[in-house]
Amino acid sequence: MLTRDEAQKLAQKVLGFSTFPECQVTITASEQAYTRFANNGITTASLNLRHNVAIVATREGRTGATGVNDLDDASLAAAVKKAEELAAISPPDPERLPAVSPQKYPAMSDYDERTAMARAPEMIPHVKTVIAAAIQRKQVAAGLIERSHRVTAVANKTGLFGYHDASDSQMTTTIRMPDGSSSGWAGQPSMRLADIDSARLAATASEKCLRWRNPQRLDPGNYTVVLEPTAAGDLVRLMANAFSARNTEEGRTFLSKRGGGTLLGEKLFPDFVTLRSDPFDPRQPSSPWTGDLLPTSAIAWIDKGVVANLVYDRYWAAKTGKQPTPGGAGGGRGGGGFGFGGGGSLIMEGGEGTLDDLIASVDRGLLITHFWYIRGVNPQTLQQTGLTRDGVFLIEKGKITTPVMNFRFLESPVRLLKNTQRLGPAVRVRGLEGGMMVAPALVATDFPLPSISDAV
Amino acid sequence: MLTRRDFLTASAATASAALARNLFAAPKDSKTPSADLEKLGDVALREAKKRKASYCDIRIVRLRDQRIGLRLSPERGTGKTLAVPSVSEDSSFGFGVRVIVDGAWGFAASPVVTPAEIARITGEAAVIARANASIQPKPVVLAPVKAYRDRWQTPHDKDPFAIPMAEKLDLLRSAAEDVKKNPRVFGGAAGLSLRSEDKYFASSEGSSIQQLILQIYGNLDATAVDREKGISRSRSYEPTQASAGWEYVPEMNLGENAARIREEVVEHLSAPAVKPGKKDLLLMPSHLCLTIHESVAHPTELDRALGYEANYAGTSYITPDKIGKRIASEHCTFIGDRTSPRALGTVGYDDDGVKTSQFTIIGEGIFRNYQTTREQAHLVGDKESHGCCQADSWATVPFQRMPNVWLKAGPRETTLESLIAGIDDGILIDGTGNYSIDQQRYNFQFGGDAFWEIKGGKKRGMISRVAYQGRTPDFWQACDGTAGPPYWRQFGLTGDAKGEPTQINSISHGCAPTRFRQINVLLTD
Repeated sequence: MLTRDEAQKLAQKVLGFSTFPECQVTITASEQAYTRFANNGITTASLNLRHNVAIVATREGRTGATGVNDLDDASLAAAVKKAEELAAISPPDPERLPAVSPQKYPAMSDYDERTAMARAPEMIPHVKTVIAAAIQRKQVAAGLIERSHRVTAVANKTGLFGYHDASDSQMTTTIRMPDGSSSGWAGQPSMRLADIDSARLAATASEKCLRWRNPQRLDPGNYTVVLEPTAAGDLVRLMANAFSARNTEEGRTFLSKRGGGTLLGEKLFPDFVTLRSDPFDPRQPSSPWTGDLLPTSAIAWIDKGVVANLVYDRYWAAKTGKQPTPGGAGGGRGGGGFGFGGGGSLIMEGGEGTLDDLIASVDRGLLITHFWYIRGVNPQTLQQTGLTRDGVFLIEKGKITTPVMNFRFLESPVRLLKNTQRLGPAVRVRGLEGGMMVAPALVATDFPLPSISDAV
Repeated sequence: MLTRRDFLTASAATASAALARNLFAAPKDSKTPSADLEKLGDVALREAKKRKASYCDIRIVRLRDQRIGLRLSPERGTGKTLAVPSVSEDSSFGFGVRVIVDGAWGFAASPVVTPAEIARITGEAAVIARANASIQPKPVVLAPVKAYRDRWQTPHDKDPFAIPMAEKLDLLRSAAEDVKKNPRVFGGAAGLSLRSEDKYFASSEGSSIQQLILQIYGNLDATAVDREKGISRSRSYEPTQASAGWEYVPEMNLGENAARIREEVVEHLSAPAVKPGKKDLLLMPSHLCLTIHESVAHPTELDRALGYEANYAGTSYITPDKIGKRIASEHCTFIGDRTSPRALGTVGYDDDGVKTSQFTIIGEGIFRNYQTTREQAHLVGDKESHGCCQADSWATVPFQRMPNVWLKAGPRETTLESLIAGIDDGILIDGTGNYSIDQQRYNFQFGGDAFWEIKGGKKRGMISRVAYQGRTPDFWQACDGTAGPPYWRQFGLTGDAKGEPTQINSISHGCAPTRFRQINVLLTD
């Protein structure tokens, strides 16, 4: 893969083609290998290689952008020329700030050579483990194991240069009964492929599938819920964009105060709710730079229940006389939240109890494995809808008693956190829709489940 | 893997942009693929044969995307309207090779389009296939297909990439400024996306097919904010996203619709909340397209029904035992179609090299056919594929993706007005909003972009905070009429996600305004 020196040379070559005062180059190169399986056999497997050079040219506030994956000199020169042509005919951008000066980016620890190089011999044994476990219990397994290696380099004409080399992996499996009468799921994202525990994943999904057979119909309504870490992460991560200082000041988020102003500094959540970004947390490292190309560092968004920070990117910070926040996505002219998309750092602190302790603390409620097809209903209150999936269980007097049918939910993560009573240990999770964070299992009251789903 | 040497080779020697342009260039009205593409294709086919592959195909693809946007929003402090533009153009060029070795698939892809790299990557695909064969319960069986040597392109008069950028920006500026004319509109935005895909396909079964697919998307958005009440509302206009040339753009009517959404977003801000409960719904094509997509098109994908997508997209409530059985009312005939003019899913051939066609999915409420690929056809006793194989890039594995799926119009005498006249207490819904459906496509919830109350057979004022929730088979059984052919429209969806790793598909769904009885309506935040 592209080394730091090679990336720098390539970036300099591209910048050398630039005739405008400002030019920013982002180089990405990635290699992904994966194996999919279903119906107890491998269905597809792939090795794919990609690279891309993105160019942003600016003169007198006018900006044009191009992306190209042809890396010969003529193509790169043509791409720079095209970006400059687009800029020349684009209107001036009144929110444009001058290019970022050279920065000192922190060193990250999110590269593992064995993960970055892994191929079928390292991945197929995990698939065999899961399929063998399913076959042993007369079940049917489907799933995915993948690893990726990605290099990103950024440079501009002020002399700024950054290089980031990262690897990642994950395995997920859904184990079903052959007649489709039950389903169980387990997943594990891991920076090191060697840490993937396929035997544990198979056991969890298989056991859940066995326990969820013949789910009973329970009346829709508001329930106390125990959300497993993936389910909690599915919802909590959706708070990210609401922390945009611009959107909040413009009256468009749940952190906007009626009549003007923001809820920064106010205590909205219980004492034990702390939500933060830390790019150096080994459970989920992230990019060394923000979307604005400023260095990242740790920052709290909710600290012991208090709204601790909003995201100020360079533009909105300049407008408001604040400093840009080091954990914000940035680059969105104040519109970005703190999530960085899929690769960012987001951590909700956990509590002391185990998942079993949380279940034991509930007199009557539901245990939820994870959610599916979550979509925003109201961008301001962050009300979401979606469905439970792959295992819902009634808890009575601290014990799991009965498998129950899936529900649709209609709830905001803001209300969820306000209603949270207790936390389990936090682990890295990756939801079905791709969002990652470090999240704890949690117990929350009054979780609205307004309708039943027949889906298994 | 892409070695350091490969990366540097790519940057130094291949002159690949020029190669891409020249490779896909063709004399006007040419009916055969470029000879250079055929030579490159042969490299993969020969290498696969050497590696004892029983099947091989290669796709060489050049993608181009151009995105232009203009956002109008107030400056902090002064309230002065600032126009924030964005213009970008991306291109991507590469190839992917699929092989079957020992009855199992293997796939590999690279952005370095040279004969040597094609041979190497074909070898990688064969290695992967051989490894996969160790856990392959049954060998892959492909339905027969004719061998084609052809060149196909989206019918068009004007290349949208050749239109001056200034003309595009002027169009957007004018529309966005129209949206912002009412001072109660907080922000306005207009956007245009153009996409072209040059694709060459060659297979070991004798096909050599070159295609050019062009797509155009537009959007117009308005936002209004009431800070005292602490609410914000939006209204959008999404013209039919189409496979077409630039000559289609004037038909989008951005200007005319800008004035409409400007007034409607302000009305939406003060529109009273819906009273929840069972109501009749009249769903306009701009809205129903998404409901069709989620509740009809997805559950009739055969790979879902047979468990091949169980780990992510899910399975389907429409299981093979439902073929020949009623799953919707007699008003519902759905056609799978990759040939309909201007629809986003329309191509000449799919990524299996199958010539595209139309087929009935549901006929007058009776389930008839799944969407299939060559690999799947035999699993439901079909002799040939319905041509639904697609990959979203040269770097991704082709698999079963939905075609355009459309609802046949009703009788000519059924009009929008006659459908409204038959509603005592209902809601007319326009445009798409939030949407969610379970992994077997039973329980759904849909919002919309704008809602009007219908009382006593008449359309009244706007209402807000509406969503409807239902169970798919009950919902389509509750359909009691759809308007006639003059009201039929198709709308494109550009972000259809499926598969692991996720791939994106673009397709269109057509229908006329359609009525549903006694659907559960919710009050949302």
